[in-house]
Amino acid sequence: MPAQFGHMLKTALKIFTQINREKATGMLDFELKELENIFALLILGGFAGLPSPPSPIAMELMPYMERELTILLSRTDLSQDPLGVLMGMLEID
Amino acid sequence: MHHTAFFLGKGGVGKTTLSSAFALALARTGKKVLIASLDPAHNLGDALKTTLSGEPRIVEPNLEALEVDLAQWVDKYLDESRAQLKATYSYNLTLNLDSFFSILKYSPGTEEYAMLWAIEDIHCRLAPAYDFVVFDTPPTALSLRFLSLPAISGLWVAELTKLREKILQRRQTITRLNPESPVAASCVDKSDDKVYGKLGSIRARLSMLDALFSKQSFLSVIVNPDELSVREALRIKEELTRLGIPLSAVCVNKQGVSDAAWEQTPELKNLPQFIYNFSRDGITTRDDLTAIGAEPLIRYFLEEGKKK
Repeated sequence: MPAQFGHMLKTALKIFTQINREKATGMLDFELKELENIFALLILGGFAGLPSPPSPIAMELMPYMERELTILLSRTDLSQDPLGVLMGMLEID
Repeated sequence: MHHTAFFLGKGGVGKTTLSSAFALALARTGKKVLIASLDPAHNLGDALKTTLSGEPRIVEPNLEALEVDLAQWVDKYLDESRAQLKATYSYNLTLNLDSFFSILKYSPGTEEYAMLWAIEDIHCRLAPAYDFVVFDTPPTALSLRFLSLPAISGLWVAELTKLREKILQRRQTITRLNPESPVAASCVDKSDDKVYGKLGSIRARLSMLDALFSKQSFLSVIVNPDELSVREALRIKEELTRLGIPLSAVCVNKQGVSDAAWEQTPELKNLPQFIYNFSRDGITTRDDLTAIGAEPLIRYFLEEGKKK
């Protein structure tokens, strides 16, 4: 019984620590996604009329940018409600 | 030492004639010379009275020549990119890849880049087998675009590298604070990140080409005794100065083609001048090219090369 209780306590502490870790890095994670989104926009901007590096440079980088492209697409979905996203991240109801 | 010479100028001033006369005379001094035509409207083979292809062909002992096939370079480059994309991306993202690539073929800048990679190939793969490489260039607009590409693209690549470093820094911080974050599964180190690695390799290639144009090459502008070609030569000089590429000499071709009074503009006068008289009988054989008299320019080219 005490061993089971100890195990439960350990798990609870682990979850608690992880929640705090997630909270601590939430803002950094948001900033990172923004930076990755900007990076993808800079590379592919030429296709949407934005200033961009010569398209051959974009072509050379594209094979390694799957993560950035996925973020760019998800950011496009969220762009309808940017304030909502920001408020959600700052935990403002 | 200079191992590479470029001949620039307005369309029709005699770039192909003078560059092939220069290469031929240099080869006949016993040096091993390669002459490459970068002009999409090739006529180097016509000037040398032979048939050329994308790979060097022997014209005569010590002289080999090639005509860069730009369409083939564009296709090669796009095929490589297509293969890389297909290997990396999931199926649904590559579904319409072929139509995308057929559009890219006509995207602005692709041809200039193909030319740049062709020069890189000649410089790195072929040039070591020769004493000198001579480039016959396309008319001004296209030449200036490919000469300026390493500098302009270099700026973009430098900025993208800075942004990438920032991204990798953030990824490292997040991974340190929260090792179970999904970010930890992506590349966090410069050495692991393929995008950073690719940016580095692009930067190295561009720097090498920039150094080739600005430090290791002899650039000569060709003019005719008329106002239009001289004005264009001035624009070439201004643009090259802006890019940090020095002009080495001015060749005045077709001197005596007209009786109209003409004087060299002061802005070009401070560069060494080499005069070539208009050939009234035309140039019908390869030996006629040597009669043009490229020897003084060759002497200057070799002397200047020694100073470098």
